[in-house]
Amino acid sequence: MISWIAPLQPLLLGLVLLWSARLKLLSPHAAAAAGRSALARLVGEGRALPAYRLVGGVEAALGLVLLAPPAVPAEALASAALSLGFAGYLAYARLAAPDSSCGCLSATRTPVRWRSFARTGGLLAASLLALPASASWFDVLRTRPLPAVALLLAEVAVLVALSPELDRHWLDPLRQLKVRLTRPLPAGGFEVPLDSTVEQLHRSPVWRETAALLTSDLREHWDDDEWRILIFTARHAGQEASAVYAVPRQRYQPAAVRVVLVDEPTGRVLLSLQSPPDAPEPDWVRASPATAAAY
Amino acid sequence: MNGGTEMTETIDRRRLLTSAVVGSAALAGATALGSLAPEAAFAAGDQAVEPGAPDPNFAEGRITGISAGMLFVTGSDLALWRIRITGGTSIWKLRPTTFDQVTVGDGLYARGLRLPDGTLAADSVWVNIVNVHAHIAAIGRNVLHLDHKGKRIVGHLVPGTSAARYNNTPAVADMSLLRVGKHVQVIGAWVPDTNEVEIATVYAAA
Repeated sequence: MISWIAPLQPLLLGLVLLWSARLKLLSPHAAAAAGRSALARLVGEGRALPAYRLVGGVEAALGLVLLAPPAVPAEALASAALSLGFAGYLAYARLAAPDSSCGCLSATRTPVRWRSFARTGGLLAASLLALPASASWFDVLRTRPLPAVALLLAEVAVLVALSPELDRHWLDPLRQLKVRLTRPLPAGGFEVPLDSTVEQLHRSPVWRETAALLTSDLREHWDDDEWRILIFTARHAGQEASAVYAVPRQRYQPAAVRVVLVDEPTGRVLLSLQSPPDAPEPDWVRASPATAAAY
Repeated sequence: MNGGTEMTETIDRRRLLTSAVVGSAALAGATALGSLAPEAAFAAGDQAVEPGAPDPNFAEGRITGISAGMLFVTGSDLALWRIRITGGTSIWKLRPTTFDQVTVGDGLYARGLRLPDGTLAADSVWVNIVNVHAHIAAIGRNVLHLDHKGKRIVGHLVPGTSAARYNNTPAVADMSLLRVGKHVQVIGAWVPDTNEVEIATVYAAA
């Protein structure tokens, strides 16, 4: 059994290392990924990118050696040592720079969590499994194509599942599919949220003139037929008063907003304000009956 | 005072204020009554705050005690605050609410006027308010699981209160355009000492 499993591991490890090296050596985001990783903390901001590239170079070289025949135990040992090194780096990142990104397989910001450790453990296990390999992975693929491909796919699936940076390619779409099927969020009725009314108030001419008088945030609100009433506290002429705004509830018409300032203990209205009526022309443009008769 | 009378008084007061603002006949002039001239409006001058000095009229912290009309608050810098709540104070806790909804253990921001006796007469109090930029990691029944820099925050949608703003258009109650994996900004009320938030407004792209 192990006779055909072991030779396949260098193929898996080689591909993973090349994939990882691709980000560090070729990606245009390499500099940003290096800056976000714990390497910046470990070796200093200035040396983070060269160190990141160096790791990538080691990964690429080892990946190529693993893929190229013949399979020798030294390759597997080197891979195991690299995995151990990664585990140490992850532990350092978790302890010294918990907010840093992993920078492992993708430039996507991914904090170090248990899945990163599990993935490194998986790579270490694959490296150890590769130790007794004597044949080349190419021969195994040729002689037992079906079980070999099935095993590789299963191993890749495990590694993908343990890679938080790949979640957006499979986990997020799956979760979104579930949302589409179960529809767990309210689609909302025709009720107008308070936020919407407050925004209409903020866009009204009346608000522009009176906002400076207000001392408090929204204190109270209620609906009255076509109006939504919003109460603030205001200071006017050295006196505290309630600013009572009436905002259209179901329609968007900021010019219709009106306000009164009421001294609540006495019920006296201190100020009452509404926008000028909506007229296409100023009053003096309209022909008066007298001038119209002159023609 | 029993609840029935209180209710009647509230209704009477609201009816009075409503008729004051919408009951009056439509008048053509901009200012129908009263004056908005600055000297009339701002008769009492503001307190001057020295540049760079901490704003004496602002307080933040956790509520450690509540007594009649007064909140005892310990600031994050361990400053002790006495915050006076009056009839003119606005109180926000997920929505505009009343003094009796505030409990010990809540966090708050308060703005008001520092009085000579050291108390802060609050104009506005925002209880447990938080502002979170996060990604939606998963969506459950009336729940958004948010990923905030790798840490999980559970955002509860409160039917009738929570609103969504898509692409900065006016707020709507429709939450169905929220997508897993997308970035959102949430304004909400933190549930003290948990990683849970009740959502007031969620800002998203759609």
